[in-house]
Amino acid sequence: MSGTAAVLADILKYTIVAATPLLFASIGGLFSELAGMLNIALEGLMGIGAFFGMAAAGLTGNVFIGMLAAIGSAVAGSLLMGTVTIKFKANLFITGLAINLLAGGITAVLSQWWYHTKAVVAFTLPPPVPAFPAALSQIPFVGPVLFSHSVLTVSAWLWAIVAAFIIKNSRHGIRIQATGMNAQAVSSLGYSPDRARMAALVWSGVGSGLGGFALGVSVSAFVPNIVSGRGWIALVAIYLGRKKPLWIAASCLLFALSESLSNYIQGFSSIPPLLVLALPYAVTLVSLIASGNKR
Amino acid sequence: MMPAERELHSPARVMLAVGVSIALSAVVLALFSKDIGSALEQFFLEPFSNRYFLGNYLADAVPLMIAGLGVLIAFRSKNFNLGGEGQLYASALAAGVLALHLPAGTAPFAVWFLAALTGVLTGAAIGALSGLLKAVRHVSEMISSFLVSAIVINVSDFFITGPLQDPASNFQTTRQLAPKFLLPRILAPSKLDISIGLALVLIVAFMIVDKRTKIGFELKICGENEEFARYCGIPVAAYQIAAMAISGGMYGLAGALLVIGPQGRVMRGFSSGLGWSAISVALLAQGSGAGIVPAALFIAFLGTGSDHVMIGSGIPSEIVSILQAVAMFFITARSLPRIWKKRGQS
Repeated sequence: MSGTAAVLADILKYTIVAATPLLFASIGGLFSELAGMLNIALEGLMGIGAFFGMAAAGLTGNVFIGMLAAIGSAVAGSLLMGTVTIKFKANLFITGLAINLLAGGITAVLSQWWYHTKAVVAFTLPPPVPAFPAALSQIPFVGPVLFSHSVLTVSAWLWAIVAAFIIKNSRHGIRIQATGMNAQAVSSLGYSPDRARMAALVWSGVGSGLGGFALGVSVSAFVPNIVSGRGWIALVAIYLGRKKPLWIAASCLLFALSESLSNYIQGFSSIPPLLVLALPYAVTLVSLIASGNKR
Repeated sequence: MMPAERELHSPARVMLAVGVSIALSAVVLALFSKDIGSALEQFFLEPFSNRYFLGNYLADAVPLMIAGLGVLIAFRSKNFNLGGEGQLYASALAAGVLALHLPAGTAPFAVWFLAALTGVLTGAAIGALSGLLKAVRHVSEMISSFLVSAIVINVSDFFITGPLQDPASNFQTTRQLAPKFLLPRILAPSKLDISIGLALVLIVAFMIVDKRTKIGFELKICGENEEFARYCGIPVAAYQIAAMAISGGMYGLAGALLVIGPQGRVMRGFSSGLGWSAISVALLAQGSGAGIVPAALFIAFLGTGSDHVMIGSGIPSEIVSILQAVAMFFITARSLPRIWKKRGQS
């Protein structure tokens, strides 16, 4: 393979890796969005998932247990948010903001308590399980780009497919959608819109938890501010994807490409890294503006 | 008929939020400190124990009063500015750069005025962008203000660590302003300066505009019912943009006053959570201009107390985020479910 092709393969491969946390979180956030709730807590829930997921994975040496802990902790966070918002009739944006603050505080305090540092905590995890047979990843170009990925990366796509199915074809999903469109109609049919809202928040907790965990696994560490805006980027992916799972996935790939490119540019150009780091946010902002207009 | 739920009125919510966050801070200190007695003393008493600590504590409340007032004004029209971190940081940098480049002979008063103006304009421009996007493209001002802020933070970081880095310093910071360009201190040797007066004047000015003028009334109508406001011929889009600009401008002013005041330079990470704390202040004030003062004093107290236990007992100062989050939960809860009431009933 020539040099350019290898570089391109690298950028594309990392694009898929970088899309993993975004895809998990934005599909999770899609549930709450469909239920009529703009969930600005994805960012914080991802941070919670990343911290507790990595802590559990590091403690047990078992990535699967780490994943469960990530889901459990982020769902606990979303339940807290849902309870205060729905049962205590609080403002959704303020509880979302509170979750984001809480996530930053709890992870820093526990990191200091458990690992005696607020800086990077590295974990030794078992090597990632490849999702495809080794033979496939030997195919030139396509192999490294598509078939070199771990089970965790591939499961983000499975998660999107399963979620799309739940949303479109299950009663549960349709009730969530209906709640977002017309909550009064839902309650006049004898179903509880509040229950649908709570369920939708739980789904967004599941997705954010998995997304945060994927971030942690990708660097095999918990890093302060590890999420660094990806929860917000995932939120924009929902809008750019017009609330359709397939298009959300495409939007995630677009944002992941900008992240992958900014990583690449940092290594090989004279543009200062701090400016390059702003690129994914800029791409996201432009997408947000493009996806705006009448909603 | 018994109501199914107990409605929580504004004073009750504030009392709950304050009470619970104070109680929780005691619990957190008990959990994490080796010597609970001294940790409690450091958190609750030390900030008031002498002139120096007290002055520094009051100085911390000043940017919270100013930025918190800005958030409150935007809240009036239901605009939620989540870009305070970036607005404050970039405005501080702009004001700092200006002050560093003014001739050494400039009158201090002119420096203060120009720096403050630069801060206000920078913050207002950044905030107005999100207001404009909301008015024109129906883009959520929360998401856009956050994203713009993220970009602005990276760009400011670049300038501070690159072209504007003080070559003589080991820190990532701009050069230090000349001492005569800094605001006069009161309660020396603490950091408290005359900007606290400006903060109080602004709060009073807001209260007058709010109660006595059409602008205050129309801003409120925009927040309460957009359709109705349009029907009445109120320029809703203009108010949306103005509300975000004012909110950004106040963050900018807070940043500029920190540069020509307590900080004297712009270090990397300058905003350090102030953008978020100002939101807590506005929430705690419950829409009341006068409420900004006690709210800022309380949020500043949580921050100062946390700093004191970090220095004294090694407890991470991030506990302040947890306390603020819990206060937010309680301040925004409009009712307590019945289950909490049953005990008293039967």
